[in-house]
Amino acid sequence: MNYFFHILIMINIYMILALSLNIPVGYTGLLSLSHASFYGVGAYISTLLMMKLGIGFIPSLLFSIFGSVLLGLVISIPSLRLKGDYFMLSTLAFQIVTFTILYNWVSLTRGPYGIPGIPAPQFFGIIIDTIPSFLIFSSAVASICLYLLYILGKSPFGRLLKAIREDELSAMSLGKNTVKFKITSFAISAGFAAIPGVLFAGYMTYIDPTSFTLEESIFILSIIIIGGSGNFLGPVLGTIFMILLPEILRFLALPDSIIANMRQIIYGFLIILLLRFRPQGIKGEYKFQ
Amino acid sequence: MSILELKNITKTFDGLKAVDSLFVGFEKEKITALIGPNGAGKTTVFNLINGFILPDSGEIYYKNQNIVGLKPWEIANLGIGRLFQDVRVFGKMSVIDNVLCAFKNQKGEIFYYPIFQTWKVKREEKIYKEKALELLDFVGLIDKKDDLAENLSYGQQKLLAIARLLANDSDLLLLDEPTAGVNPKMIDKLLELIQKLPTQGKTIIIIEHNMNVVIDIADWVYFMNNGQITSFGLPQDVLGDPEVKKTYIGI
Repeated sequence: MNYFFHILIMINIYMILALSLNIPVGYTGLLSLSHASFYGVGAYISTLLMMKLGIGFIPSLLFSIFGSVLLGLVISIPSLRLKGDYFMLSTLAFQIVTFTILYNWVSLTRGPYGIPGIPAPQFFGIIIDTIPSFLIFSSAVASICLYLLYILGKSPFGRLLKAIREDELSAMSLGKNTVKFKITSFAISAGFAAIPGVLFAGYMTYIDPTSFTLEESIFILSIIIIGGSGNFLGPVLGTIFMILLPEILRFLALPDSIIANMRQIIYGFLIILLLRFRPQGIKGEYKFQ
Repeated sequence: MSILELKNITKTFDGLKAVDSLFVGFEKEKITALIGPNGAGKTTVFNLINGFILPDSGEIYYKNQNIVGLKPWEIANLGIGRLFQDVRVFGKMSVIDNVLCAFKNQKGEIFYYPIFQTWKVKREEKIYKEKALELLDFVGLIDKKDDLAENLSYGQQKLLAIARLLANDSDLLLLDEPTAGVNPKMIDKLLELIQKLPTQGKTIIIIEHNMNVVIDIADWVYFMNNGQITSFGLPQDVLGDPEVKKTYIGI
């Protein structure tokens, strides 16, 4: 049963990651490869605040969101001077920088040794320290995040982001400060990505930088590519599919050494197939070119 | 009274003077046509007014304010709208969403309003939706309101772009070849629409190659060649000018 709960918790975590990345990627049309850095920075900020300064869970969560938004601004303001693929390259560079800092600032993050013994989320006298309780907690958090992201996507704000994706010059000629909206969408996405980071740290009770690598960013992006972007349902379907797929492989009785590689091969194969035959993903409105 | 005045505007691309010391004014609530051979610099003039490109020298006064150096969205917010030659509708969005995007200063576009003041945004949206439907009715696209803009015909996309421009509520409209590539039946409809606009307080500057259209709707014509205005006046006079006939129509 706990195994089943574990999968659901991971789906909750990745659903927030995918749907928050969907804001810049699917709505605004900015391909970003730095989502794992916001995820990681969220996890590290809240963990360090709780363990080094003894700050409570809720304030730590808020600080980590704030920190991640700031990082999002730091990344997007200079990067948005670049267009298209160059923007993506710039986010890739920032992803690598963030990972390198987490990995090498040993005195603060313990680098490759990771941080063990992260306390369970605790607030208003409730401690979330069992798997079933964590499932309920993560589902509640994910529901709130998904609701907010849904509202944003459906709002005039989301509509304007789509307009910028479709034709930035046109949106500009209608009097919209498109650069400001691009930065806002990126920063909001970064802020939301911190939340699953905090959940992940509290759930695993251990974090190290290898959970927040470029591969992780690519994995989150591929959830959107496979699921489909620019709407709500696509990333939801993509998350369920991408999290369940390796679990299904588990039952194929392959040796462990092959399974890990098989996963990568299947993901890669799927993305190639999709980009060739269905560029908008399972359920998306926007084709990647 | 001129609503827009270009004073001594020069723009050079790779040593070639696209616009050469141009002085030109546009009258309020009139339709002024900008005609001339390809490469005369007409679209460049629009891009300069719009703020998409910066002039090398000179000033552009809109309602007595120098707008050179302002960002395109700032210029748009002052009240200068643009219909692009290649329409540029938001293809993967519904027709009504295209129009809804165009309203200025929407609270719902500031991300915290939809989250914290949902009801306010909803109320605002209801008003905008009604206005958008009115505009779609005005341009005759009401039946297509839920279709994706990319599925409309070229002429319908131009009508949609005009509806979007009207929702944007600009006082000065720059129309870059609104009739090009549109079937004749649709052209009549478009012209009828454009002719109504000055009565609603709009000023129109139109780039047009179809001389019948120019004679029909323009109050004033500027003929542009090699980045300069070489002839101007009432439509019949300019089109009757032997110089214009020679360089443009080829007779």
